[in-house]
Amino acid sequence: MDSLPLLMEGFAGAFTPTNLLWVVVGCLLGTAVGVMPGLGSSMAVALLLPMTFALDPTAAFILFAGVYFGGLFGDSTMAILMNTPGQASAIASTFEGHRMALDGRAPQALATAAIGAFIGGIIASTIVVFFAPTLAELSRYFGPAEYFALAVFAFIATSSVVSDSVPKGLASLMLGLGISTVGIDAVTGTQRFTMGAPQLFEGVSLITVTVAILALGEVFHVASRARRDNPDLKTRSAGRPWLKWAEFKEAAPAWGRGTVIGLPFGVIPVGGSEVPTFMAYDVERRLDRRRRLPQFGKGAIRGLAAPEAAGNSTTGMAMGALLALGLPVSATAAIMLAAFRQYGLQPGPLLFDRNPDLVWALLASFFIAMVVLLIINLPFAQLWAKLLLIPQPYLYAGIALFCGLGVFATSGRVFDLLLLLGIGLVGFGMRRYGYPLAPLMIGMVLGPLAETSVRDALLSSDGDYAALIDSPITWFIYGLLALVLAFTVRAAVRRKSRQDI
Amino acid sequence: MSTPMTPSSPAQDDALPPAGSGAGPDQGDLPGPTPAGAGTFWHGRSGLIMPVVIVGFSLYILIGVATMDVGDADFPGPQFFPGILGVLGLVLAGIIAAGILRRPEHPENSSGRSWRFHSDFTALGWTVGGFLAFAVLLPWLGWILTGGLLFWSVARGFGSRRPLFDILVGLFMSSVAYLGFSVALGLNLPSGILGGGF
Repeated sequence: MDSLPLLMEGFAGAFTPTNLLWVVVGCLLGTAVGVMPGLGSSMAVALLLPMTFALDPTAAFILFAGVYFGGLFGDSTMAILMNTPGQASAIASTFEGHRMALDGRAPQALATAAIGAFIGGIIASTIVVFFAPTLAELSRYFGPAEYFALAVFAFIATSSVVSDSVPKGLASLMLGLGISTVGIDAVTGTQRFTMGAPQLFEGVSLITVTVAILALGEVFHVASRARRDNPDLKTRSAGRPWLKWAEFKEAAPAWGRGTVIGLPFGVIPVGGSEVPTFMAYDVERRLDRRRRLPQFGKGAIRGLAAPEAAGNSTTGMAMGALLALGLPVSATAAIMLAAFRQYGLQPGPLLFDRNPDLVWALLASFFIAMVVLLIINLPFAQLWAKLLLIPQPYLYAGIALFCGLGVFATSGRVFDLLLLLGIGLVGFGMRRYGYPLAPLMIGMVLGPLAETSVRDALLSSDGDYAALIDSPITWFIYGLLALVLAFTVRAAVRRKSRQDI
Repeated sequence: MSTPMTPSSPAQDDALPPAGSGAGPDQGDLPGPTPAGAGTFWHGRSGLIMPVVIVGFSLYILIGVATMDVGDADFPGPQFFPGILGVLGLVLAGIIAAGILRRPEHPENSSGRSWRFHSDFTALGWTVGGFLAFAVLLPWLGWILTGGLLFWSVARGFGSRRPLFDILVGLFMSSVAYLGFSVALGLNLPSGILGGGF
């Protein structure tokens, strides 16, 4: 229970005028990017990554947190109004949410989403405050074998659970891991895959890969269809987004259930909040069928409330797992981990010991960000929709310019711009042919950890592979992985058998 | 992005149509040119490019592993991990290629007509070419001019047809970025010929 005084100190740190400013800026930026059709919070964080090096670490991470959560709020605004989810995690919100909007209940839908996201985020942040130090304490028992198990868990789960084709997910992972091995080997100092080019000695920069895969690849992909698929974008309805007490009572249990479903997925790396949002939606739909007057299909408020709460509670918990274990569960979290590394910080138990100011100020800023986001989203959601008036060519031209700016500003080399272009083209190909991107990002970020820990473990056991699985923690992790895979296989088999009928 | 999706298939919005003959499911009924390669082996199999990329990258790694100058490192040396990756990449590329050969992939087309290629290569050409020109010319022409060029070519790729206005907007954007990031935040952006020399 000694978390409370620390959190209070964190609030004191976060409530300085500059840090408060960064929370607000982050929330505004995140919401703005999230609102843009097709752009999600991971692209916002990717584009911001190079920019934040002009800031001190605390301010930078507070900004990131604001952008991350803001992107989720903005995504659901667009999912509801336009049926254009910016990220996979907002897809579940479109079903009932967009139907509510078509029904002329857009303000209520936006309010339901904003409150749901707020509840999920606040509860998750509270749990993280009390739980993260314990988790960090636990991770002191982690040796190389345990870290390797954790990395394998993240690799396998992200590449198999979310993607519809396991080989494609694994191939994406393999590309990420492969890119992470380029450069001088940290253990022996051997040059690897550099072709003698000094630009590659330090490896391929994570910033370059992140911006290429998540931002530039997306620009190319949208360009390839921009003049052919013309989405019908019209803002509908207006009015004040207040919920009636009856609506509030109707949505409340769904918010609660969604939050509970979302929480565990913040620690289980299955590729972010896509899985829990769909689970929450599905649970509500099943419960709805048993009611006397089923609401689903007609704009059920619960079908929107639950996934919104689930998405944000997963994201909140994911931040906890990132801080305490250094384990990224989604592409966005992987970028944040990369940002920590750029500042020379290693998330995990040591971070809580060495940089308590940063950790607690960041945790406190989650709460501030939630409140700020509720304020800027609840009454003004309709205003945000006005951002759609920016013509698409200028929007994407601006993003391309920003990609070049970010990468050149941090590397200062034309070489990195060409690398950015090359990897961006690979990112385009991956989108075009349906390869998931998250495994590549997670492979790139966790690759070095996986490699050094497996080599450390094998070196100290003289090449005995049994050393990788001889502790209870590794049994637990591999057991959980087997469970996750079993569920995935079961779901896939059921889907297939349903198709045959 | 804007395609309505059914609730029951979270990860399946890009799912393949049911395996059938080589011809596209409904492409034949749409107005517009015949898709390139229709009726031939290659129709619906352009996805083979990805396994080719994966094989290329895997071979690059495996050749690097074979020719690596390691000295006398202990057993799991610097070749251990990449070696596994290279082999894994080859196996996966094989599985994916076999999948495409068995069931050709037809991407969803919501534009109401058919196209020679699913992707708009003119638009891609402008976007990619613009970025390439930006990267190569940056040290000589400087940030402001090349940034304006990049902005214009991407906007053109996305279908904007007002070159003069686009270039002005582009130059404005790149100048703002230059002022904000180079002058105010101290990031290093080249001034190029506008800075009076190289």
